[in-house]
Amino acid sequence: MHDVHDFEDVKIPIGPQHPALKEPESFLISLRGEKITASSVRLGYNHRGIEKACEERTYTQGLYLIERICGICSHSHSTCFVQAVEEIAGIEITARAKYLRTLIGELERIHSHLLWLGVAGHEIGFDTLLMYTWRDREVVMDLLATLTGNRVNYGINTVGGVRRDISHKQKEEVLKAIDILEERTKYYIDLAKGETTLIKRLQGVGVLSHEDAEKLDAVGPTARASGIERDVRKDDPYAAYGELDFKVISVNSCDVYGRTLVRLGELMESFSLVRQVIRKIPDGSILVKSARKVPAGEAVSRYEAPRGEDLHYVRANGTEKPDRVKVRAPTLANIQSVSKMLEDRYLADMPIVIAAIDPCFSCTDRLVAVRDTKNKGSNTVVWETIRLQGIEWYKNKGIDFTSLNEKLTKLS
Amino acid sequence: MLKALFHILIFPGLSFLFVFGFFAEYVDRKLYARLQNRIGPPWFQPLADFIKLISKQEIIPEEADNNVFKLMPLLALAASSVAILYIPISGERSVFSFNGDVIVVLYLLTIPTFAYFLGGWYSRSVYSMIGAVRSLTQLFAYEVPLFLCILASAMLADTWSLSGIAAFYNQHIGYWFCNIIGFVVALICLLGKLEKVPFDIPEAETEIVAGSFTEYNGRLLAFIRMSFNVEMVVGASLLAAVFLPFGLNLAPAGVLICYLIQVLIIIVAISFLRTLFARLRLDQMINFCWKYLAPLAFLQVLFNLTLKVVLPR
Amino acid sequence: MSEEKVKQELEDKFSYLKDTVTITRKGRIFVQVPLDKFNEVFVYVVKQMRFLALSAITGLDRGDGFEVIYHLNREGRVLLNLSVRLNKENPEVNSVTGYCPSADIYERELVDLFGIKVKGIAPGHRYPLTDDWPEGEYPLRKDWKGHKEAQNA
Repeated sequence: MHDVHDFEDVKIPIGPQHPALKEPESFLISLRGEKITASSVRLGYNHRGIEKACEERTYTQGLYLIERICGICSHSHSTCFVQAVEEIAGIEITARAKYLRTLIGELERIHSHLLWLGVAGHEIGFDTLLMYTWRDREVVMDLLATLTGNRVNYGINTVGGVRRDISHKQKEEVLKAIDILEERTKYYIDLAKGETTLIKRLQGVGVLSHEDAEKLDAVGPTARASGIERDVRKDDPYAAYGELDFKVISVNSCDVYGRTLVRLGELMESFSLVRQVIRKIPDGSILVKSARKVPAGEAVSRYEAPRGEDLHYVRANGTEKPDRVKVRAPTLANIQSVSKMLEDRYLADMPIVIAAIDPCFSCTDRLVAVRDTKNKGSNTVVWETIRLQGIEWYKNKGIDFTSLNEKLTKLS
Repeated sequence: MLKALFHILIFPGLSFLFVFGFFAEYVDRKLYARLQNRIGPPWFQPLADFIKLISKQEIIPEEADNNVFKLMPLLALAASSVAILYIPISGERSVFSFNGDVIVVLYLLTIPTFAYFLGGWYSRSVYSMIGAVRSLTQLFAYEVPLFLCILASAMLADTWSLSGIAAFYNQHIGYWFCNIIGFVVALICLLGKLEKVPFDIPEAETEIVAGSFTEYNGRLLAFIRMSFNVEMVVGASLLAAVFLPFGLNLAPAGVLICYLIQVLIIIVAISFLRTLFARLRLDQMINFCWKYLAPLAFLQVLFNLTLKVVLPR
Repeated sequence: MSEEKVKQELEDKFSYLKDTVTITRKGRIFVQVPLDKFNEVFVYVVKQMRFLALSAITGLDRGDGFEVIYHLNREGRVLLNLSVRLNKENPEVNSVTGYCPSADIYERELVDLFGIKVKGIAPGHRYPLTDDWPEGEYPLRKDWKGHKEAQNA
């Protein structure tokens, strides 16, 4: 987090819009030849004021808003938040609901890690890997759609349990899909261990030593690839993890290659976890009735999201709305180690090093601040204005959806 | 005069190169897509892309050197198009030929890379400048093994003319196998020349957006893409003429079909190779070229020098 | 060391912490620390009790003042939440980046969203608000109801 003040070097901006970044964040990198001499990061482009918005919504409304913090780890955020609310309200959810949350959580991890593998492939110019993994990711996405009705933002959590049960037929579908995915993942593990150019591009790149990882409080696969065996599922079990058997995958290579192996290993663990959940899931109801008002109190909830430890702090004041909701997404904890990892590396390593922490900047930044260029200064625009502006803009372009909308309202 | 115009404009000149270039691009993209489990573009996609780009508004950065920026894509296209006239594609004889045209063709094929460098450098964008420097650095890595391989083949044939090389290997058809190392090395070098994975370092999308071509758009970008297609065809033709002396004794139509098949085989090989690998880093690429490709090319030269003494002529 | 032991140790060491340490459940300890004693408690907790990892810093507006909560954990297992209350007129805390380098970004959040001054923070970019964000507007304060211009519009 230091400004770059060396004028001899070439400074190149990576972001806010850049092909290497899937979301807007800005890195300023100083180059001498191909070597990176300094780097600085500017966050906040995705700040949407979700924390503030939560204070003006009821717990149930807030839950679905929280779920939209991120498209990839939506279940992580919603589970983390709902756990905190249930803790304050003193609600003990049923075992079946716990298992269902675990099931969706693990399926989400599978889809997130496969996504990451593809992105990592793309960052090092290995597009074939991207196409393969994203094709396989469709399997788990379809599965999530059959279980919850949505490919992302599952909306399965609610205060007091889950909203959808799993049928016998769905259980079989899950097992079938997991078999396919496991076979494919084994192939990727072989690939990661055998493909020379891949290893060449990943090994020894983006080194974060064990000490630095501890000092900078890295979380998730980033920390586990630096030999820190830390996993909230093991250390502070939530949902059904206390009753399930799984290993925490960690390696000591401290580089991007290690992070790849950790994620691939975690995929295999997730398959085993999903099978255990399907085998052990107890019968019973999935929802416990709960009051709309939550008594005053506070709670910190932790959840092992695919990217690492997700932390939510909720303070209740006895009304229907929370007093304060704080979200600490895993990327925020990891982003600070990126500058360390980029030290003395080549420009070519920059995309993969940034990608290796699996950054999710939407999670990280959470107010719409639209810059008004005509009347100097900022302007906060409400959602409805943007929507109307959008409709007007398209109308001016000759695209009108009014008749279509009328038809839709008639249908429903 | 009319004949020369025909050669320059129709066959094997611009028209043929454009059509075959589009086709080569289609084969490359379609195959690349199929190998990656995608459907890939329809046959007219390269042409459609070209027309779309041609019809777009041209934007030239304020900072850029206007003339150089505009001139370089045309220069690249022209240089690679001229090279085809010296390569024997329909039979043993090329359109123009003299003793020493191997060197001319190799240098004509180097001009596009310099054109990309200058175009990138004068765009005055950091991404373009880094890309430009990278393409030049890369040039020094693959150019030496590529030259050595082709010269090794020429040494065995004891001629400096491409037509002469073709004629020699046509007479001694079995000798092509002696150059097999050279062929493989030259094929890998061609990947570097065409800036394809694993050597697409100068235009690495995730690092420097599009390298030298970041600021290019519209018509100029269309020319750059065209010159890459033409380079691909000409590069493949050069390799085919030097290393694959097959079917030169057939009827004229047969010779042409044989040539097209050989070029397509080389293009297919390029598509396969770029599906298989991740992009290397610049230092790794240079290491690879000097540690493995250059010694192999030297080996080919030594081997051919020995053969020249041993083999009957 | 269990949660009870942590509680015991804190209460033995710092007498003023009596009755302010609560264990809400396994692995969760909340401690209310007086502002003037905060530094000594924080340093003791990090250096002696080995709560080395800082998970996050939460700021919140209590209406009559602010509260800052430091979420520390030990080997990922026990979460110790040190909270400190600040007055409304001049909210200020000391930077803890000297002990936990990762605190930097959370402290910037406090500065931007609550207007809490953090003494000893390194110069650098602001986070998470835009560079042209107007002075004196802190979105997470309870009395903030959107931009002045937006309200007037």
